[in-house]
Amino acid sequence: MSFFTIVKLTIPVMMGYIPLGMAFGLLLAKLLIPWYYAFFMSVFIFAGSGQFLALTLFASQATILEIGIATFLLNLRHTFYGLSMISAFKDFSWKKHYLIFGLTDETFALLKTNEVDKNERERVYLWITFLNQCYWIIGSVAGAVLGNIVPFNYQGIEFSLTALFVVLSIELYTKNRLHKPFFVALIIGLFGMVFFPPQKMLILSLCLAAFVLIVFKRSMESGK
Amino acid sequence: MESSYLIGSIVVATLATYATRIIPFLVFRNREPSPLIKYIELTMPVMIMVILVFYALKDVKWESYPYGLAEIIGVGIAIFLHVRFKNALLSIFVATLAYMILIQNVF
Repeated sequence: MSFFTIVKLTIPVMMGYIPLGMAFGLLLAKLLIPWYYAFFMSVFIFAGSGQFLALTLFASQATILEIGIATFLLNLRHTFYGLSMISAFKDFSWKKHYLIFGLTDETFALLKTNEVDKNERERVYLWITFLNQCYWIIGSVAGAVLGNIVPFNYQGIEFSLTALFVVLSIELYTKNRLHKPFFVALIIGLFGMVFFPPQKMLILSLCLAAFVLIVFKRSMESGK
Repeated sequence: MESSYLIGSIVVATLATYATRIIPFLVFRNREPSPLIKYIELTMPVMIMVILVFYALKDVKWESYPYGLAEIIGVGIAIFLHVRFKNALLSIFVATLAYMILIQNVF
């Protein structure tokens, strides 16, 4: 797979991460935190909602322990992503630690959906993860440095991440021989959106999905 | 804000985030993936992806004008284009553009 093809795969994430990163940087600047903290947070933490949460907690002067616990709980969903990547990363070199570190919602989505030949999988996965993190770092630093001077009205561009998830859902539905999980997830997602509190919606829905998968394993695997 | 507070928080948030990502790899490090893990690897991703769609729509105000119409149209365009042409970039680009035009100029 050529470098150009890899970049092309990551363009939807770029369209989401740069403006979202900028929003993060803007917020950080508003709290009067020096811009290089945006850089360090995006390099080391690299979790979109986790970093927004950290800013909120900074603003309310939460303790470091509280920040640790809240971040852990918010990002607990990533455990499910890792669970579906175990076989894929199994034969990779030590570099897989970067892949595990960089397993965000969007990176997971790209890795899981794109068919890559086994012999070049590690290289392609590393590039995808690295490019995605670069977009995120560029966006957050740009937001923190530029403040409110933004060249064009990009309001709504973060919808590209929604569209990305829609497209990848269709791709996975078409590729998978089991179709029931897709429809069950539609119901769980809708239910979660309506009934779960927004900030806990993702982790609760994912737990519910895992629960249904395990309890109804036999019926899920049957054709009908 | 003190830099010791900021640096301490960043270190802790980094470790907390990394922990959530490494846990499954540590737990299943020395084992062949069981049939259950294989089954989860097969079925969980599509469920995660669908749930992420709803997660991305969680802050939409459905009960007041414009009743999430921009989001519904945007998602509809993405589905239609992707089923029809199977070109991810095209579907995402057109859907996002339509959504931006709608929320900036129409609603």
